[in-house]
Amino acid sequence: MITLATTGLMSSKLTLIAPEILLFVGAVVVAVLGLARNASLRRSVPMVTALFLAGSIAVTALVYRTDAVVTSQLMLPMLGAYAKVLIAAIGILLVMLAGPSIDRRLEEAFDSGHATFDPIRVMRGEYFSFFLLSIAGTMLISTAGDLIWMFLALELASLPVYVMVAVSRGSRRAQEAAVKYFFLGALSSATFLYGFAMLYGATGTLELPLMAERLSIQAATSGLPTLAIIGGVLSILGIAFKLAAVPMHFYAADVYEGASSATTAFLGFVPKIAGVLALMVLLSVFGYTGHITLFDGVPVEIPGLPAPMTAVLWMIAVLTMVLGNIGALLQRNVKRMLAYSSIAQSGYLIIGLISGPESGYSAVLFYLLGYGVTNTAMFAVLASLERNGEDVETLDDLAGLRTRHPVLAWMLAASAISLIGMPPLIGFFGKLALFSSAIEAGQTTLVIVAAVNSAISAFYYLQLVAVPMFGQPNARTETVQAVASAWPRFAAVLCGIGVIVLPIGLAKLVNAAASSTEKLAKFEPTPGQIESIDASAFVSR
Amino acid sequence: MLELASLPTAALQIPPAIASPEFAWAGLILLLPVLSALLCLFCGAIGVKTKLPGAITAIALVASFATTLTLFLKLPADAPRTIHMFDWVAFAWTGSSATGAVVWTGFLAPFSLYVDSLTLLWMLFVTGLGSLITIYATEYMEADVGKGYTRFFASVSFFLFAMGALVMGGNLIVLYLGWEGVGLASYLLIGYFYTRPSAVAAAKKAFIMNRIGDLGLALGVFLIWQNYGTVEYDALFKAISAGSAPAAESASWTAAAIPYCLMLGAFGKSAQIPLFVWLPDAMEGPTPVSALIHAATMVTAGVYLIARLYPMFVLYPDSLTVVAWVGCLTALVAATIGMAQYDIKRVMAYSTVSQLGYMFLGLGVGTSFGAVYHVFTHAFFKALLFLCCGAIMHGMAGQLDLRKMSGLRKVKGFGVISWTFLVGCLCLSGFPFTAGFFSKDSIIAQAFASENPTFALLGWIALFTAFLTAYYAFRVWFRVCGGPIKIDEPGDEMHGHDDHAHASSSHASNAHGEDGHGKGGHGQNGHAAHEWHPHGPGFAIKGVLLVICIGALLAGLPSYLGEMRHQPNWVETMVEHSSAASGIPVHEHAAGGHGHHALSFTGIEDVHTATSVVASTVGILGICLAAFFHLFNRGAADKLRAALLSNGLTRWLPLLLENKWYVDEVYNAVFRFNAWVLGHVLHFIDKQLIDGLLVNGGARIPMEIGRVFQPLYNGALQGYAATMAGGIALIVAWVFWIWMHGA
Repeated sequence: MITLATTGLMSSKLTLIAPEILLFVGAVVVAVLGLARNASLRRSVPMVTALFLAGSIAVTALVYRTDAVVTSQLMLPMLGAYAKVLIAAIGILLVMLAGPSIDRRLEEAFDSGHATFDPIRVMRGEYFSFFLLSIAGTMLISTAGDLIWMFLALELASLPVYVMVAVSRGSRRAQEAAVKYFFLGALSSATFLYGFAMLYGATGTLELPLMAERLSIQAATSGLPTLAIIGGVLSILGIAFKLAAVPMHFYAADVYEGASSATTAFLGFVPKIAGVLALMVLLSVFGYTGHITLFDGVPVEIPGLPAPMTAVLWMIAVLTMVLGNIGALLQRNVKRMLAYSSIAQSGYLIIGLISGPESGYSAVLFYLLGYGVTNTAMFAVLASLERNGEDVETLDDLAGLRTRHPVLAWMLAASAISLIGMPPLIGFFGKLALFSSAIEAGQTTLVIVAAVNSAISAFYYLQLVAVPMFGQPNARTETVQAVASAWPRFAAVLCGIGVIVLPIGLAKLVNAAASSTEKLAKFEPTPGQIESIDASAFVSR
Repeated sequence: MLELASLPTAALQIPPAIASPEFAWAGLILLLPVLSALLCLFCGAIGVKTKLPGAITAIALVASFATTLTLFLKLPADAPRTIHMFDWVAFAWTGSSATGAVVWTGFLAPFSLYVDSLTLLWMLFVTGLGSLITIYATEYMEADVGKGYTRFFASVSFFLFAMGALVMGGNLIVLYLGWEGVGLASYLLIGYFYTRPSAVAAAKKAFIMNRIGDLGLALGVFLIWQNYGTVEYDALFKAISAGSAPAAESASWTAAAIPYCLMLGAFGKSAQIPLFVWLPDAMEGPTPVSALIHAATMVTAGVYLIARLYPMFVLYPDSLTVVAWVGCLTALVAATIGMAQYDIKRVMAYSTVSQLGYMFLGLGVGTSFGAVYHVFTHAFFKALLFLCCGAIMHGMAGQLDLRKMSGLRKVKGFGVISWTFLVGCLCLSGFPFTAGFFSKDSIIAQAFASENPTFALLGWIALFTAFLTAYYAFRVWFRVCGGPIKIDEPGDEMHGHDDHAHASSSHASNAHGEDGHGKGGHGQNGHAAHEWHPHGPGFAIKGVLLVICIGALLAGLPSYLGEMRHQPNWVETMVEHSSAASGIPVHEHAAGGHGHHALSFTGIEDVHTATSVVASTVGILGICLAAFFHLFNRGAADKLRAALLSNGLTRWLPLLLENKWYVDEVYNAVFRFNAWVLGHVLHFIDKQLIDGLLVNGGARIPMEIGRVFQPLYNGALQGYAATMAGGIALIVAWVFWIWMHGA
């Protein structure tokens, strides 16, 4: 019996990770293609990468319709249905950014005959191979059923990125950034691994559903063991590194600045969603109900996570928002500014994690969609421009961009305004969903802090509107040109249009995000359900 | 308003809508203009230098009209239909009701269509006239072929989409989308000649005036959602029909404010007092735009809003009285201004304001049928009048001053224009048995028939206005088309209101470099008067004029058929089956009003017949007066004016009328100047106090905090690692402490 059950479980898990398996295959294919002597084969690498990503979207759509979802025994069985599609779709856009930039100099040298082909020196194959591996790792987190799986998936998502940062451009700054990222990443891995070990010690199992069951029994009988609480907090703190949340945010500005714009776009999205998915799975193990806390010596059951974890997340969210936004205020370097902005955005995301699976998780997933598109749009604009063959980095480089590249300037403006959270752009609806989920969970103070932070963030986001649109072109901007390849520009336009147009399909997207957190949440706003609302309820409000 | 207040609630019954997914193809009516707008933009992007954008738009709009017509023929008229296009805005959250139970509340606004006979009526003339005017514009705008041409047709297509969304939308959010969309399209098209300061100023004026109205509409939508918990028409009407609406039982002020907020929106969009001053200035746009947007379609959006949400107004009868008074006074004021203008397009603009006033009067006195019928007939004859003005301007190189043209009917090529113009003027004057006659009379008659005594006063004002209308309409026609031929004063670019003015001046082409007024053609003649000769319009313009002229005549047909067959006319049945009829007893306008009424002195029992007789007499008197002053004794008009001016007691009259009642000046003094002063004061405060002290001072706090932490971000790996590890240690210690402390 046991064998049979295990086999069934195993096969259902294998079914669910079919998209990742496809991406592993892709990683091998791409790595080999990148070494081809034939230049056109080498150039096809980004296209092949994108094709594998598209394939994984199709496979995801197929496998999440099967019974495998039901038998997989995951904490959030449908999570992957939304997350994998989102990651792969944004991944395709990121390929458009990175495609032309990797190995550009080297390939030019090969073409012009200044250098002969040398398989040791070409990086494109490695870069995109690691790209796919990191995305596969991120996807695997959404299917994690035990802590070993989760740890390996987190490492698989992180390790390739260190290499990608290092090879993203041929400068020492990139290598310095990669080294910093690697060592601090190792520190964070050690932290959450320590946390995982404690969780194992507290519950005696690595299986997440079993752990959830034991934790709930312990909570109901003798209260949660201190070991589990400390383990949970350490795991949160370790994973916070992936989100670049306080206190694990120190690396962000340096690493973002050091990597090429295309890689920074990757850094701004993929590790972040990896961290968010990991936290979602982990926090749902602790559960959002049934936790007793003592108030003046009287045990009271309060909704939400165990009190210490709520406290930690609350503090992380506030500090992350505040420090991120304040840090961004000082920056003239756009990439550093966006690094701090992405720190602040992590703070908003954690608000959704505090509000829990009822509507917070779906709000977070929806917010990530908007954030992913907007973030990619911004970096795509940066990746479309160059100054003397180098990345465009400072605000001064962008002054008066509208006069020379009106489309790029408009796309930058649209995405900056979306990040502030202005209607009718996608960012507004993301924030609306997040904040209303938090209010529903009773976290009004947190929403006020977030709203104040949004106002502060307008100061620097509006610079990204004002400087390109109304700034006076100067001597520096004269040398700023569009890069030869049209792909980054295409991605910028695509994402920019997405920022504007996606709200049209709002209901579909929100529903998709909501249904991927099923089983835990009962969030299904079907029209019929809402029409049946008693009108008197509104009067009484 | 006694009669409305005492109505049984049964009169508020609106049949629940039937969900009809099988009519999903109705979405094409909106989709086609969108596609056409995108194609036009694409044409602009690839630099098309032909009339292709015009052709695309014309085809798309004709197809859209055909779809509307098919929908009209296929849709059973029994009940309104909702057609769900796609889910759009959907948010749901939990809350607890009064009983403590958890309920799902949600804000749901799908992109859906609400199609009933009112929608169809509106869409028929919107798409129909839209297609015709677009065909007209393909020839009219030919001097601008290139980027300007593309921009023009992209905006027109977008306008048609927005107007369609406004009219067909299934909830107030879609309506609001369309409402803002038509405002944007109007702004873009008024400011079409964006190098001319007056056009830019007019565009801004229109946009800002409309913002004031839009604020009212937005507040109205908020309040509706707050009080009824829905923004969908169907659910809203259900709530009102069921009497469960909070408004019916306890009139909280927020519910009672709804009609007034909506009214403000309607007055802004439909140019009523106090927000009417933007419409005459909007004539800075190309004439087809004036005909389509600022005469036939967009400006009737306010009437549509009130007609669509009529049940909401019926709940608060006082609001309808306000609508009636505002409409009536607007009609009077605008007509008096129209009498004294010399620019024929401005006369027509004030006439539009005045006629819109009639429509609001109709809504206010309780004949939504009359109001909608007047919208319908007015759309045709006013579009016709504007297109005639445009054709004259087109042929006369931008000349619009009625003192500088005469006898056009005898000039070769202008025959069609003159006679179609005459038809338009007759309809506008309410000449017996024209379309305008029937629709205007049904409004005035209802004012007299009403039991509310003050409404009889409104009726008298409306009759007087009808007299003025006939006078100013024929003043234009007799001056421009009648009398001896005088066509030797072509317009110039200072005077012109259209593209030819630009093409006509060689130096202007530099200023409009981007628009490429390269095709000077005949327009250049305008610069050198001795070579100048007027030219008649081409096939597209003439053809469209004739078609719309026939349309204007046929618009009266429903009444003929109705009278002959003794059954309610077609427009009336359309209105009856829609939400606009709620609260009004069926056939009231036909059955009611017998016995004593204000017009009993005529000896005619039936108030409608009496009104018809009196109104047509008044109209013919107005035409006679115009004929006396402007056809037979042209000198007399000037003498009269001089006599009035020379007398100290009467000189205010011509001055007041010619200067548009000094409304612009009053607004300037009361609002604009004060706003300017306030703006500068606030700017000073903002700059010195808020920016200087609070913001920069306040911003310095986070920045200083940032500087304090800056050393932490020194770039050294060891420092980062130590800080991170320290942070982890601190947090874990803190958690351990609270955990142990708590437990």
